[in-house]
Amino acid sequence: MDPREVGMKKNNFWSPYIAGAGLGLTLLSTFVIVGWGLGASSAFSLLTGLGLGKLSPAYAHKITYFSQYLNVEAPLLNWVLFEIMGLFLGALVASLVGGNFRVRLDRAEHMSAGTRMVSAFGGGILIGFASRLARGCTSGVALSGGAQLAIAGWVFVIAMFVSGFVAAALFRRLWS
Amino acid sequence: MVMSAPFMVSQTAGLVLAVVLGFFFGLFLERGGLGDPHKLTGVFYLTDFSVPKVMFTGMLVAATGLYLLSDLKILDMHRVWIVPTFFWPQLVGGALFGIGFLFSGYCPGTAVAGLASGRLDALVTMGGIGAGSLVFAIVYPAIEGFYFSSPMEGATLPSVLGLNHWVVMAFVYLMAGGMFYVMERYERKR
Repeated sequence: MDPREVGMKKNNFWSPYIAGAGLGLTLLSTFVIVGWGLGASSAFSLLTGLGLGKLSPAYAHKITYFSQYLNVEAPLLNWVLFEIMGLFLGALVASLVGGNFRVRLDRAEHMSAGTRMVSAFGGGILIGFASRLARGCTSGVALSGGAQLAIAGWVFVIAMFVSGFVAAALFRRLWS
Repeated sequence: MVMSAPFMVSQTAGLVLAVVLGFFFGLFLERGGLGDPHKLTGVFYLTDFSVPKVMFTGMLVAATGLYLLSDLKILDMHRVWIVPTFFWPQLVGGALFGIGFLFSGYCPGTAVAGLASGRLDALVTMGGIGAGSLVFAIVYPAIEGFYFSSPMEGATLPSVLGLNHWVVMAFVYLMAGGMFYVMERYERKR
């Protein structure tokens, strides 16, 4: 069955305003308790740097950007990495309880599995690069920075939505 | 007690809290529909507005609480790490990010939520994010100048505009309220 059909038939998601309020309270608690916001993309960079450090230590140590992970004691004891593990568990529990858990390659109806692999991986490359350039992603810069009224958050979020709309106009058949 | 927050916690306590806070982050993302790439890209095709609704509601709630607790002298804002601004790299980064978001149907956090709901394409995106981080690290020496350009470290809308934060918040409430109203009306019409 088409995944979108399933979604339409049994859309058991919460109201986005309720979920958003919960997300906001989680972010606020993070500010109050630890003194910084939520993040995500830096965990991917950390694991990539450490992975390369295992595969090819000589080459990894030549890459200056990765020295922030390779030259510290116990780099895996990283706040964002632990937060991402919690994120996975929370989303897993939510999708199991909500009955949304299903192993699949999610894609638009007409899209081939091969095209989906390319769009998922290619999009990921852009996201990974862009997140490092912007010093964070939708979590660390847009959501956390936006909530602080930091210029960073609002510049990022506006640029992201504008370019997403332009890209959607150019690639109309990608998802719709 | 006045100005006790943010609390200084030990590293171990901090990591335990990271898992707990992350748990709720993931729970609300998935329950808001943000583990689903169709919903995540829907905003760009004007078919589903879950992303801006969840995101801006979250921002408003957190911003209101943050500035309120600061005004009530419960939270010391000077000890909260403010996301640093580097205008041009973040503008270009945000624009590139939007294209990647549309192609993959995810962002880093929502890809993890997508994988947690059984989506293997989210795992492929996570691999791509790692690869993109590697590409950035490799070309970093060549773009270091740009990366550190236009620094406005710690700049916020109230500080740059020279306005009280509640004046800025009033604009944000109006903007978000107007946006929610338009999105609701548009969705009802379809």
